[in-house]
Amino acid sequence: MLRATRRLIRQLHARHVWHAYLFVAPILILFGAFRVVPSIQTLFYSVYRVELLRGRFTFIGLDNFRELLFDPTFHQAARNTLVYVAVIVPVSAALGLLFAVLFDARFPLREFFKALYFAPMVTSTVAAAVVWWWLYNPQFGLFNVLLRLVGLPIQPWLMSSRTALFSIILFSIWKWVGYNMVVYLAGLQAIPESFLEAARIDGAGGVQRFWRITLPLLAPTTAFLLIYNSIQAFQVFDQVFVLTSGGPAGSTNVIVLDLYRQAFERYNFGYAAAQATVLFVLTLAVTVFQYVYSKRFEVSY
Amino acid sequence: MWTTPLRALGTLGIFVIVAGGAVLMILPFYWMLVTALSPATDVMAFPPRWVPSHVTFEHVWYALRKAPWHLYYWNSLVVAVVSVGCSLLFGLFAGYAFAVYRFPLQNVLFLLILSTLMVPVQVTSVALYILLSRIGWVDTYAGILAPNFGSAFGVFLLRQAIRQVPHELVEAGRIDGAGEVRIVLTLIAPLVRTMLATVAMILFLGSWNDFLWPVIVINSANLRTVPVGMALFKDPYGNINYGPLMAAAVISTGPMLLAYALSQRFMIRGIATTGLKG
Repeated sequence: MLRATRRLIRQLHARHVWHAYLFVAPILILFGAFRVVPSIQTLFYSVYRVELLRGRFTFIGLDNFRELLFDPTFHQAARNTLVYVAVIVPVSAALGLLFAVLFDARFPLREFFKALYFAPMVTSTVAAAVVWWWLYNPQFGLFNVLLRLVGLPIQPWLMSSRTALFSIILFSIWKWVGYNMVVYLAGLQAIPESFLEAARIDGAGGVQRFWRITLPLLAPTTAFLLIYNSIQAFQVFDQVFVLTSGGPAGSTNVIVLDLYRQAFERYNFGYAAAQATVLFVLTLAVTVFQYVYSKRFEVSY
Repeated sequence: MWTTPLRALGTLGIFVIVAGGAVLMILPFYWMLVTALSPATDVMAFPPRWVPSHVTFEHVWYALRKAPWHLYYWNSLVVAVVSVGCSLLFGLFAGYAFAVYRFPLQNVLFLLILSTLMVPVQVTSVALYILLSRIGWVDTYAGILAPNFGSAFGVFLLRQAIRQVPHELVEAGRIDGAGEVRIVLTLIAPLVRTMLATVAMILFLGSWNDFLWPVIVINSANLRTVPVGMALFKDPYGNINYGPLMAAAVISTGPMLLAYALSQRFMIRGIATTGLKG
């Protein structure tokens, strides 16, 4: 028995099992403590009333979720978030694809232009949003100045609940389109020239080649971008915080901003945890839906 | 390419559309710079002054005096360097373990690490804040760093890269008497240096531009990172002082944009081929 145990230990040693656990230990401990445990605790806190300063946690069942159901502020935030996701994901993917197709051609200064399209992506969202806040100024901001210059009616942009969410979406498209374009471009350049050549010989026109060959072959790229952009879009916060703080009249309030306010301005941690749970479930649902749906469009040649 | 006039016309059309788009993309940056460097009278001129009537640094000096930017930069740098350093080191060893060894629970642990990608800090921030407030990490460097000591994405990418290294090299290292730690640091690390550099760049960028978690966990003014300092610079200056505000935007984005200008091929390729999130 003892000998068998000793042999097992020696075997494990030979297979470097101790090394393996030693090497993965740091990341497991750190992730366990600061990511996995908080994830589970979020669920846990969502059924509690949390009074952090008194260190008191009161179990209240589903009261937080029940309150969410009848909270007009959260309703508005959830609706705005869904509108934001529903607009920005397809539009920025379509624009990304359009520019990727254009960039797939050969023309002077191509790399230079590509770098310009991508520049917003590496800029901090906060600083970029501060600049756009100035551009959106109704009196002196560049956008309205340009509209006046060409004789078009000026817009209230961030100042009106009718246009504020649209203005934030416009900013986010500017920020993201370069990324989608570059990812699509990588996908386009991975398509073997022979496929398109064969179609050309068969007499397929440019438009037909695009819809029948290029687009189906890009399906995995499209699926990745839709899912990734959706996850990012559900978490929108920085630009809203800087541009409007959720106003006017809550017309640009989003889930993460409402969660931030509930938790870190009003100290309703339990309620915020319930919001976080809803955000997670929403994100997961949309991601799974898109994943399953996109599987149906995948092709192989 | 240029065989027919029609082709040339097509190329010209593409060029015009792409260049027009590029003007729109770059316009906010240009206007930020012009506003920052123009005298106050230019800022609200109509029609707009595309070039400053004379270049002045008064807004820049004003913005520099109004906020401790050197402190913000130092904080951002400390957070980014520690988080990138830890993530690379732990990611390299974990990636090696998952790529080279076979051990019980291997796949479960790997999936557990990857599953943290599904639960971003936006979702866990409440519970994480409560946890950190209990161990006294709120409003400290450690608190800003807590969710960023490691990167699941980094582990994944480094495992993929290390899998490409022929196993014979590892065996040869062992025969030469090198220990496992030395094999990782002196044999594997140089072989996957491209991936290490890419992961480092992506994580640095993510940490540098991160806003939500720092703004939650920082209370003291002297711990603010650059984005937090930038966001709070905006508030007290209402609608009037756009010159200093744009100067502040230049101060907070300038170095990163410069780094991008110098290494844009590497950065675009790295981000496009691996995704972005840390």
